[in-house]
Amino acid sequence: MSIPLLICDDSAMARKQVKRAIPDGWDVDITLATNGVEGIEAIRSGKGEMVFLDLTMPELDGYGVLEKVKAEGHKSIIIVISADIQPEARERVMGLGALDFVKKPIDGKKLTEVLNKYGLL
Amino acid sequence: MSEQLALTEDQRDCLQEVVNVAMGQAGDSLARFLEVFIHLSVPRIRLVAKEDLGTELEGLVGGVGSKVSGVSQGFYHIEDGKGIRGEAIVVFNDTSFKELADLLAYDEELTDAAEKELLMDVTNVLNGACLNGIGEQIETELAYSPPTILGQHVPIADLLEHEKLSWGHALLVEISYTLEDRSFNCTMFLLMPGESILVMKEELDKLLEDL
Repeated sequence: MSIPLLICDDSAMARKQVKRAIPDGWDVDITLATNGVEGIEAIRSGKGEMVFLDLTMPELDGYGVLEKVKAEGHKSIIIVISADIQPEARERVMGLGALDFVKKPIDGKKLTEVLNKYGLL
Repeated sequence: MSEQLALTEDQRDCLQEVVNVAMGQAGDSLARFLEVFIHLSVPRIRLVAKEDLGTELEGLVGGVGSKVSGVSQGFYHIEDGKGIRGEAIVVFNDTSFKELADLLAYDEELTDAAEKELLMDVTNVLNGACLNGIGEQIETELAYSPPTILGQHVPIADLLEHEKLSWGHALLVEISYTLEDRSFNCTMFLLMPGESILVMKEELDKLLEDL
């Protein structure tokens, strides 16, 4: 069965880049969200078992999404994909329950490596 | 002319993401320099007419009459004069200086000269990382000229003297760096005039085609 994968990023270009970086043959059912509010709604309706989450977004940012996911007890596996490469940004998202952090612009090899590391492929 | 210069929705989205990545790199450099966490917001992009620039800047930086200090640094495509060029302008509000001096454990009195030095230091940190970040993504090596002080403790509309601007319309990109729990706020503006926008649009189209 395909894994419900949510890509949450305000940039259409970034969403396309992330989509393109998804490993070939990975059986996922992709939902797109353009801000954190849409993202959390998709997660509530079961479309985000896996989430690729941007941090800097309007309405509700990635930190806000992580907080809500935690507060509402969703079991989503969240990988943050962000241009905010400050070490503290990484620490903060990991503290809020993200599985890992991948920097932008996204590198397909790196994403595959991270997914493999956690046995997600 | 302005219709020709306007970005399509795809181009605007693409430029915003390019700037987002560059802002992340610049934010990281500033965070390391000040040893703090920098809060980043979504960069804003708009096309402005020369006569509206002052009002636009006032709206972005904190209203009419607020006093700021600013540094400008020109950037241009390294190979020829026809490529991307523009100005990177770093603006601080007046309260940010004390915060900055405090963060950098600057003990001496904050004279105009000391403030100039702080302005220049932060400008170098931000502009270097941001312009390199943009250049890398559009595969264009950007060179920059030495920074110059535009003004200290002046209303933002006075930073750029309209009569000296040689363009009619320019692309204005606003990147804001803020600190949590402190009143430090530093805004970077990229201003790309006239023909330079057309070159940028071509570069963005190339990036979009590669998707």
